[in-house]
Amino acid sequence: MSSIRKFLNNSDINRFRFYFQLVAFGLLVYGGYLSINIGDQLPTFACVFDDKRGGSCYLMGFQHQMTFPYARLFSGAGIGILIGLLTFVGFFIIFNKAWCGFACPLGAIQDWLTMLRCKMGIYYSSYSEPVFKRLSTIKYILLALLILIPMGIGNSFFGLPTLNHDFGVPFCMICPGRTLLPLFNGDFSQLAIDFSSKTKMVFSGLGLGITGMFLAGAFAKKRFFCLFCPMSALHYIFSRASLLRLTKDGEKCTRCGNCYRVCDVGIRAIADDLEHINIVKDDCMMCLKCVSACPEDGCLKASFLGMPVYESTAEGFFRRRLKEDD
Amino acid sequence: MIESERQARVRKSTSLHLAMEAAETLRQITEFPDNPESMAYFYDLYQSRFKDGMILPQNGKKLVGTMCLQVPDELIVAAGAVPVRLCSGAYAFDQAGGDFMPAKSCPLVRATMGMLQVNNDTMKDNLSTIVIPTTCDQKRSSVEMLRNMDYPVTVLEMPASKESDEARTYWQESVKQFALSIQKTCGRKITAKALNAAVRTKLEAGKLFRSLQQLRTESHPVILGKDIWLVSNSYFFDDPDQWCKAVGKLIAELDSRKSAGFSAINRKAPRLLFTGSPPIFPNLKLPILVEQAGGLVVADETCSSERLLHDAVVFDEKNLNDMVPAIADRYLKPCTCPCLTPNTDRAKKILEMVRSNRVEGVVYQAFSGCLPYEMEQRGISDMLSREGVPMLFVETDYSPEDQGQLSTRVEAFIESIKVRKRKKQ
Repeated sequence: MSSIRKFLNNSDINRFRFYFQLVAFGLLVYGGYLSINIGDQLPTFACVFDDKRGGSCYLMGFQHQMTFPYARLFSGAGIGILIGLLTFVGFFIIFNKAWCGFACPLGAIQDWLTMLRCKMGIYYSSYSEPVFKRLSTIKYILLALLILIPMGIGNSFFGLPTLNHDFGVPFCMICPGRTLLPLFNGDFSQLAIDFSSKTKMVFSGLGLGITGMFLAGAFAKKRFFCLFCPMSALHYIFSRASLLRLTKDGEKCTRCGNCYRVCDVGIRAIADDLEHINIVKDDCMMCLKCVSACPEDGCLKASFLGMPVYESTAEGFFRRRLKEDD
Repeated sequence: MIESERQARVRKSTSLHLAMEAAETLRQITEFPDNPESMAYFYDLYQSRFKDGMILPQNGKKLVGTMCLQVPDELIVAAGAVPVRLCSGAYAFDQAGGDFMPAKSCPLVRATMGMLQVNNDTMKDNLSTIVIPTTCDQKRSSVEMLRNMDYPVTVLEMPASKESDEARTYWQESVKQFALSIQKTCGRKITAKALNAAVRTKLEAGKLFRSLQQLRTESHPVILGKDIWLVSNSYFFDDPDQWCKAVGKLIAELDSRKSAGFSAINRKAPRLLFTGSPPIFPNLKLPILVEQAGGLVVADETCSSERLLHDAVVFDEKNLNDMVPAIADRYLKPCTCPCLTPNTDRAKKILEMVRSNRVEGVVYQAFSGCLPYEMEQRGISDMLSREGVPMLFVETDYSPEDQGQLSTRVEAFIESIKVRKRKKQ
C-alpha cells in the first residue's frame, strides 16, 4: 500500500492530466461514433450541438426545463427536473471540480492553446489579483441569467410580456462550446450568424464574438474562459458534498507560494489561507498542479472518500522538478 | 604613505587574528568524538579559506558579493558570475569594523564592513559588484559607506512587507531590474537555458540539504548540529557542484550510520531548536557551547542555514518572463526575516518545527545591535511558553569574552530540560 502511495505521490500529474484530457476529449466529442452515451446530465461541456458527442452537457437541458411555466414546474414534471438535477449532482460529486481540469473539452482546448503559446515562445499576460477577483463574479451573473431568461419565456415577471422562444437556451447561444466543438466533427454550421430573427441574430452574433474572445483570451492567459464559466459556478454550489476533496494542512504550509505560482486560475488562497481545510475555491479546476508544486510533506492533499490519492511530498517534488529536462 | 602602511599593518594583524579564530573554532568542532569522516572536506575547506586573511574563490570567473540571502543568486550564476555571500562571522573583522562603525551596530554588519574596509584594495578589484537588498536598517545604510570606499554596489529594493499583491509585484519588478543590471555588470546575457541550469543546481542543493535536515532529526542522532552549520555556511562561498558532491557523500555516510544503529550523542540529549541572529563561521560560539553542554541542535531557523536552502523555485513555463518572477517569489514569499512586517510566518514556522521535530527547548540568539531579532524575542518566547517549551534567550556578539558566563547559562538551561524530562517519565 505504501509503495503504491509513494508511486502516486512521485508521479507527474501534469503528464497524466494531459493524456487524460485527450481521452476525455475523444470520448466526449467523438464518443457517438462508438455509440457511447455517458449521460445527458454531464457536469461538463459535452456539447449538444455536436451530434457525435459521447454524452450531453447538463446546461442545455436545464435551460430548456427552466422555460416551463410555474404551474408545470411545480407539478409532476418538477420531479423529472429534480431527477435531472440529482443526476447532474451525482456525476459531479464523484470527481468534484476535476471535471473542469480533467474532462472539460473547452478546458482542454484552452490548455492546448497555452501549450501552443509556450511552444511559440510567447509570454503570457498577467493581471493583478483584485481585477481577477472582480472578473470572477461574472460567472454567477451568467448562471443567474441562464436560469432567469428561460423562466421569462414561460412566465411573466412583474406583469411584463413573456419572452419569445428564441431566448430558449441563452447560454448555449453564447457558449464557445457550441461554435467550437462541432468543428472537430467537421460541422461548421454553428460558425454563422442566424438571421432568422432579431433575437437569434443578436445571440449568434454574440456567440461568435465570445468565441473569438475565448480563443484570443485563452492564448494570452491560461484558462481565461473558466473565470466566467457558469458551469463552474453551478459546480461550486455542490462542491462541499463531493467525494473527491482537495485539502490543505495549514500548519505545514510555509506560504512559499509555489502553489499560487503555478495555479492557472490564480487562486491566492491556496498559498495564503492557513485556516480552511477544504481549499477548493470557485475558480478551482482541481488540476492538482498545486499539489505537485508543493515541497512540504502532506501539506496539500487530494483524497477520494477519505483515501489520499495524491499528496504533496518533498521527495515527489524534487523528483518532478529535477526530472523535467532529462 | 603612512596611511597605506597602517592599512597594511592592520590587514596583517587582522588576518593573523582571523586565522587563529578559525583554527580555534575548528579545533572545538573537531574535538567532539565521532565526527563523520566525510566532514573532512568541510573542515579542510574552512582551513584553507581562513588560513591567511580572507580568500575569495578564484576560478577565472567574475565574482559578485552578496550581503544577504535575499539575493537571488540563480540570476548571478546565470549571468556567468560566481556569487559569494560576504556576511562575516569573524571577530577579527568585527574589531576592524569597530574603528568606523557605531559601537551599538550589529556585529554581523560591523564585521562584514570591517572585512571590506581592511581588504579594500584587493576585494575592490575582485568583486564586480556587491548586492545589498534593502532589508534591515544597518545593511541599507552600509550602501553609502561602501560606495564611499569605492566599491561598486547594486541595491536590490525589497518591500518591507510581503503580504499584499502590490508588494509581490514590486519585488518581482525589482528582481527583474536586478537581472538586467547584473547581466550588464557581468557582461553576459541571462538566457532561459542558463537560468534553468542555475535553478536546477540550487534545487539539487536544496534537496540534499533537506535530506541532511531529515537525518539530523532522527531519534538516533547521526550528526551533530555543529557540523550542519559548517555544511550550510559553506554554501556561502563553495562551488555548488563540489558542495553537492561533498554533501552527497556525507549523507551516504550518515545513512550507513543510521542503518548501523549508530548514535553520535546520548539518545537522551535534549533536542533543541536554534533560532535568531545567524551563526556564521567562525562565530559558532553559541551553537558549539550548546552541544558541548550536552544538548543537540536538531533544527534551526536562521538565515545562515535552514532559510538558505529550504525553499525551492517553481515555474510553469520555461521562459524568462515566468522564470524571473518565479525566482523572485522564492526569495520573498517564504521569507521569515524579522525585517518584514508582519512576520507571523516566523512564529508559525518555529512552532511547526518544534512540533514536528519533537523539540524540547529553543535557543534564541540575538546579536546585540540586531534590533529586529531582539524585538521579536518576546512574542516567540510567549508563544513557546504556551506550547510548554522552554526558551533560552541569549544576547551576545562576536567577542569571546562572554563565553564563560554563557556556558553557565547554557548548562543550566540544558540541565533544566533534563530535569523536566526525568520528572515527566
